[in-house]
Amino acid sequence: MVRYVRLLQLFFRTELQYELEYRLNLVLEIIQTVVVTGTSVAAILVLFSYTTILNGWDLSAMLVLLGCFYLVQGFGELVLQPSFEKFMEHVRLGTLDFALLKPASAQFLVTVRNFQVVQLAQMGLGAIVVAVGLSRIPSIGLAEAIGFPIALLCGFGLIYALLLALSTFAFWFVRVDNLMALYWSFMDAGRFPVDVYPGWLRVTLSSAVPIGVAVTVPAQVIAGRLDPLGLGLLILGTIAAFVLASWFWRLGLRSYTGASA
Amino acid sequence: MIRTYRALLVAQIQAASQYRVQSILWMLFSVIRPVIFLAAWVAVANSQGGQIGAYDVRDFAAYYICLSLVSNLTMSWNAYDFEFEVRMGRLSPKLLRPLHPIHYSVVENLVWKLTTIIPLAIVLVFVAITFDARFRTTPVHLLLFLPSVLLAAALAFLSGWALATLAFWTTRVHAVSTFWDRAAFIFAGQIAPLALLPGPLQTIALALPFGYILGVPAEILRGGVTIPTALQLMAGQVVWVVIFYFAFQRVWRVGIRQYSAVGA
Repeated sequence: MVRYVRLLQLFFRTELQYELEYRLNLVLEIIQTVVVTGTSVAAILVLFSYTTILNGWDLSAMLVLLGCFYLVQGFGELVLQPSFEKFMEHVRLGTLDFALLKPASAQFLVTVRNFQVVQLAQMGLGAIVVAVGLSRIPSIGLAEAIGFPIALLCGFGLIYALLLALSTFAFWFVRVDNLMALYWSFMDAGRFPVDVYPGWLRVTLSSAVPIGVAVTVPAQVIAGRLDPLGLGLLILGTIAAFVLASWFWRLGLRSYTGASA
Repeated sequence: MIRTYRALLVAQIQAASQYRVQSILWMLFSVIRPVIFLAAWVAVANSQGGQIGAYDVRDFAAYYICLSLVSNLTMSWNAYDFEFEVRMGRLSPKLLRPLHPIHYSVVENLVWKLTTIIPLAIVLVFVAITFDARFRTTPVHLLLFLPSVLLAAALAFLSGWALATLAFWTTRVHAVSTFWDRAAFIFAGQIAPLALLPGPLQTIALALPFGYILGVPAEILRGGVTIPTALQLMAGQVVWVVIFYFAFQRVWRVGIRQYSAVGA
């Protein structure tokens, strides 16, 4: 376990060094993130200039939700997207052998190997938006304060499991970047609570691609709209998704034929 | 020129037909965001007794369906491709050909729209039924929509190319196009119909080019504006097309001298 944490630190540090080579680019990327987040907040404000409540969500709760959206999306882009892209490239080129031969869990080495460190800015801004939303809520109970980070972690876990399962298809079909693109376009729907969507879209967003759940539930916890049972189900669901996705990955790995084989 | 275009079209259609699933997936890009904001506005309208300004729930549905169609018909992604070509030096062989690189891009763009329009139409019919959309379109609106959407497509295409041409200087157009996209996010009619943008935002939106690409043709197709207003808005479209046409010509001519084929 300690070894894995140290490995993770090492990966992170090398990627950070790499990113710091291009400082102007880094600054530009951070400014872009600020603009993207700012315009999204503006869009929420435009909607709330016509109403005080949207499907039971007031402005404060909506801001918490938007913040969660950027936290979850930022997490995906920080480590999952770059790592999984690299992974698919490895499968295509047959260079996954190098990861498989190393004396550590292959799943670990493949799925958290690469970072886009600049995406920390997106997560940071998400945290700020959450904080602004929270500061407008008069009082937050202890249960909510504990439940929120747990729900958020579950959100990260769900996204991880989903992307792991999706990218596993690379073992059979090699080119699956389109599947990933599909995920990223659905991700956009997370900026609103999943209950605003009509039936078919809501079902898609909460079961097939659990993006809606990953973003909506943490915000629901803060708004005091989720009972312990719902939170428990979320935890169980996340663990199940993780186990299932890992099993699927190992299954896929068996079909991997290696370089020039 | 017609023969050249025919040859290019055939080649592109053949290339595109290799990746049919891909074009269906990409079609989703022009559907998902309008549906997201449609759902949000429906929720807002429902909280206010079903009516916001001149829009009720069924008008919102019609507006966002039109917006999705227009966004598909006007989509232009040159900035992304072009930056790549300049950065990798791939533009060089294209410059040696007797045809301006823009023509390849025109054909690629047309073929993409041809291949995505049918799956898109199916999805939009589905959305229209789900939200019970109501169109106020008259035959005159339809007649005006044709030139309006062509102007919008030209505007999107020319502004995209003008932006892409900046790659001659920076090779990092990505940042610029992010700002451009986010301005379009607010002012093009994506987050709200132009008529619902509060106060000064609406005035700003009408002074900027973004709304003339998406919101204006969408409102015309929906029949949401009167004929005189529609004509006025289309005059705005013409002005912006002319501006970007000359801007593109100028930037291209200066930029091409700047081009040094990075990595070549």
